Amino acid sequence: MRKLGLTLLLPVLAAGSALGLAACGGGGKEGGTLTGSYASFPDYLDPALSYTQEGWTAMYNTYLPLLTYAHANGSAGGEVVPALAESLPEITNGGRTYTLTLRKGLEYSDGTPVRASDFARSIERLFKINSPGSPFYEGIVGAEKFAKTKTGSITGIKTNDKTGEIVIDLVKPRGTFSNELGMLFAAVLPSGTPAKNITADPAPATGPYVIVKSEPGRGWSYTRNPAWTRTNGDLMPDLSAGHFDKIEIKVVNNDSTQVNEIERDKTDWMQPPPPADLYAKVKDNYEGTQFRVEHPINIYYFWMNTTRPPFDDVKVRQAINYAVNTAALERIYAGALAANHQILPEGMPGHEEFDLYPHNMAKAKELLAQANPSDREITVWTDNESPNNEAGAYYHGVLKELGFDATLKTINAEVYFSLIGNASTPDLDTGWVNWYEDYPNPNDFFQPLLSGESIAPIYNTNLSHMDDPKLNAKVAKLGEEPLGPEQEAEYAELDKAYMEQAPWVPYGTNTVSTFVDSEIDLDKVIFNPTFGHDLASFERK
Amino acid sequence: MASELHAEASPTGSSPWGLALRRLRRNRVALAFGGLFVLIVLFVLAAPLWADHVADTGPNQTHTLEKIEVDGERREVVNVEGKPIGPVWLGGGGKFFLGADGRLGRDEMVRLMYGGRASLFIGFAAALMTTVLATILALLAGYYRGWVDTVISRTLDLIWAFPVLLLGIGLGIALALGGLAIGPVEIPSGSIWITVLIIGGVLVPYMARPLRGQVLSLREKEFVEASVAQGAGPLRVMFGELLPNLSSTIIVFFTLGIANAMLFEAALSFLGVGVQPPDTSWGSMIGDGFNLISSAPLLTILPGTMIFLTVLAVNVFGDGLRDALDPHSKVLLEAHSGMAEPEGTAI
Amino acid sequence: MAAFTLRRLGEMVAVLFAVSVLTFLIFNVIPASDPAQSMAGKSATPQLVASITEEWGFDDPLPQQYLTMMGKIFSGDLISYQGQENVVERIVEGIPATFSLCIGAAVIWMFFGILFGYLSAVRAGGLLDKLLTVLAVAGISIPVIWLASVLLYYLAYKTGLFPAQGYVELSEDPVDWAYHLILPWFTVAVTLVGLYSRVLRSNMLDAMNEDYVRTARAKGLGERQVMTRHVLRNSLIPIVTLFGLDFGALIGGSAILTERLFGLDGVGLYAFESIENLDLPPIMAIVLFGAFFVVLFNALVDIAYAYLDPRVKLGSSAR
Repeated sequence: MRKLGLTLLLPVLAAGSALGLAACGGGGKEGGTLTGSYASFPDYLDPALSYTQEGWTAMYNTYLPLLTYAHANGSAGGEVVPALAESLPEITNGGRTYTLTLRKGLEYSDGTPVRASDFARSIERLFKINSPGSPFYEGIVGAEKFAKTKTGSITGIKTNDKTGEIVIDLVKPRGTFSNELGMLFAAVLPSGTPAKNITADPAPATGPYVIVKSEPGRGWSYTRNPAWTRTNGDLMPDLSAGHFDKIEIKVVNNDSTQVNEIERDKTDWMQPPPPADLYAKVKDNYEGTQFRVEHPINIYYFWMNTTRPPFDDVKVRQAINYAVNTAALERIYAGALAANHQILPEGMPGHEEFDLYPHNMAKAKELLAQANPSDREITVWTDNESPNNEAGAYYHGVLKELGFDATLKTINAEVYFSLIGNASTPDLDTGWVNWYEDYPNPNDFFQPLLSGESIAPIYNTNLSHMDDPKLNAKVAKLGEEPLGPEQEAEYAELDKAYMEQAPWVPYGTNTVSTFVDSEIDLDKVIFNPTFGHDLASFERK
Repeated sequence: MASELHAEASPTGSSPWGLALRRLRRNRVALAFGGLFVLIVLFVLAAPLWADHVADTGPNQTHTLEKIEVDGERREVVNVEGKPIGPVWLGGGGKFFLGADGRLGRDEMVRLMYGGRASLFIGFAAALMTTVLATILALLAGYYRGWVDTVISRTLDLIWAFPVLLLGIGLGIALALGGLAIGPVEIPSGSIWITVLIIGGVLVPYMARPLRGQVLSLREKEFVEASVAQGAGPLRVMFGELLPNLSSTIIVFFTLGIANAMLFEAALSFLGVGVQPPDTSWGSMIGDGFNLISSAPLLTILPGTMIFLTVLAVNVFGDGLRDALDPHSKVLLEAHSGMAEPEGTAI
Repeated sequence: MAAFTLRRLGEMVAVLFAVSVLTFLIFNVIPASDPAQSMAGKSATPQLVASITEEWGFDDPLPQQYLTMMGKIFSGDLISYQGQENVVERIVEGIPATFSLCIGAAVIWMFFGILFGYLSAVRAGGLLDKLLTVLAVAGISIPVIWLASVLLYYLAYKTGLFPAQGYVELSEDPVDWAYHLILPWFTVAVTLVGLYSRVLRSNMLDAMNEDYVRTARAKGLGERQVMTRHVLRNSLIPIVTLFGLDFGALIGGSAILTERLFGLDGVGLYAFESIENLDLPPIMAIVLFGAFFVVLFNALVDIAYAYLDPRVKLGSSAR
């Protein structure tokens, strides 16, 4: 019935709509303009600088690195596949040398050919503009020196423009390097790209869509990349060319307005999830037809500083795990949270679900009585963004119920991470934090968050000060090996081993959503857990 | 004004204050609103009583997963979708009288009462601080004139030039992060005194300027010249001659200052830079509830109504006071408008 | 007169300078707010942070940083820490929304303020006067955040009569532009209507007792003429000066609340975001922008006052 209604509606929309569907002339699934909205302009439209999923979503189909992530939902989207390179890298020399070959005939959207040396310049550009992604590439021979001097070139990257060969030498074997070659930071840009933020004047594209207009704060738009149509698309047939001819994204500050526009079919897609007070209604009305819950890979948890009493006693930490009820937290996040009781979230390779401490207040109190800590003064930290501040308030309440003398400190989100990461901040006992994956490799969680090596006096990410030598060694060893089923099984064991020590109270994964209007085929929309919505997958019913 | 009051005193034989009191007593409306204000104060003072004996919960205790019995039926405080329970009135035996405040399931009535304590306290303390500072600065500037006046006036102009709300927000964020430490005085970052100091300080120019004007004109009057000629020192003149004649103005300014301070605090706390959690005020409650406005409008409307009623009561009573103390004083009226600027501009 | 004007304008510049220094100090004294660290992201290495610090000059002495920033504001090159966008451009983009809000509201509050004030004064003591006084006092007491919430809930969310959020460009669709601004205009105007009507009423009542009015009446002028030609005209002078101050302050940043409540994409909203993000470059530029208007209108008011009342020119006014 609905489909019939739509068929009647379509010509009317095509005729009178201000959406620019003029190109399709009343029929066909290809062509036309996709309209979308974001709640705020992405941090950058420069692939070398953007470090948010919103930015990556915007550039996933525009700037291609040598490798990329499969355009697929769920864990299939974690697979690293060739993009500008002919095939996956040949790894030799004990995991220290990566050899790739650039496909022949690739072009940028402005017609210039893509060269192997462009890759080297693009990596060097990361260091020149102090990209937040540059630490991932510091393991390349010569990179640290280049980061300091910013002159010359990175000696560890050797390229041959005639053959297209690229050889990268690493200081130590690095199992995550293929993942890092697939990050947007490693996108190949023309050698002459200026060493500054080019958001307002985006670089030429290698992917199916090219950004033609960028108005920071307001919006941006794409058209099909002529280079893709001409040659790139044939060279990379596994990557979709996209179904729309144009894509226009505008910034609409208010989430409720965005929901409203989707409901009225004025906008095709909104990037953010519906706001908390409309979430339930939208889910009820549109789930399955226009709305779908998505699971980016992240973990929200309360860290406990194992070097400060009472958290130096594992029984106390386990007791608190029993005391926190993730069902309450799910309610606090109004449905945008999927409960999780372990280090690795769902969707991350190596995740095998378990819950060592199912909610049990009585058990918590019993354990606590056994542990009987003498120091019961606790400072609880949280940031001021909703609903994280409410999660912090809930946690604070639970600690008080357990009999601790807990004080809550709510800090401006802008300085929260640097404040709790700074060892000179007093009373860093426990608090809220989250972590979003950089790429779907479990090492990206274990190494920065739980390995003893990561404990740093400033910019600390291992807030629990977890430093178990056996587990550290395991993390380091696994970090040198590329990810395979064997490694995944070992990561799953590592997950359990850490949770037995309970350095955290993990409570969930923040979900996002896909919300499209009635014209878009929801089932065809791909949400890659790392890059977000795949703009090339959107098509009309 | 001083001479008028002096003149009135002689023939009738009763003091100017007595006259003022009589006039005030005849103003039923002002008295009624004064009574309203007293009622509101009593309401918020009763917070611990309500929390301990009726609602059986504190303002910060969360009840996300709990159920309560309402008229025999068991209902969730926060339902699965995150929607809080609405006003239960007496159905729950006093618990959740006004419902729950959002996904944390805190008791709205308890929070309303505790929040009022913060709002009223800040309003009162900030107004007091402003009044004291403004009076001292006005006396100094008006008495000494010359370079003292220039320095004081220029400093006041500087604060005045700052867009008032921006200054409040900026100071609020800066001090909320690190607290304040000047010499021996140290105020931790989450303290309610930070908000008091910011509001009290920022509003000084709005009170000091009209007061200074009045001091300047008083300064020219004969009785002051006489006192100086008799060899009275500066303190004697300022606090013995000038201050008493300013007293009615100061009282009215103070009253109106409470209204302005409360409105300013509401704006700052709404924006998140005034009262910090776990403390709560009516303004921050509005800020918390604003996100839920389409599904639970009472969470914003209730605290807002309390602010409105309190400010209204103070304003009407303040007007009555002004009428009683000097119905013809132009300075007072201009001052009212001058004082209303920060609140008018606080939008 | 010219000398007075020049002196006043000179003072303006001095005050703006002082405001900029004060702002710079406030935001540089904040602990734990290292813009280099925010820019470096979550996997920051000390080297990266050091590199950013050097490039952006965060370790330069404060006076030097101040001068560099001020220079960039005037050359239009100022870049924000967050998202690195051009600050001046973004402010210019926000001006239409802010000006639409302020000017529209100003028209409304002046019109109704003067109208109600006039009516109250000519029928002083009567029922209309009492009613208008009540409304005026209520108006002054209304917290903007409450009024906005009530209007939004009843007129926007519940009944859908008005749009709840958003700003539409005047050039895009004048009707929609006005439609989105009706609730914000009303919110801003309500408080000030009350104030202005009371001030006008009081001024007019005082003026009605002045000698020149008695003279006019004695000359046989009709009551209406006396009221409008003499009383109203003279009572408007303080109103106009008050308006200058309020309007300057409104543009200067007080529109923040209303823009935030109604999601209007103006300078006020940008100000709030920047302050939340501790992003100093936009904060500096916006504070200067705001202070400029406040100070400008202050100066204009003083100059106008001096022009109209020569006694005031010599300084030391009772204001």
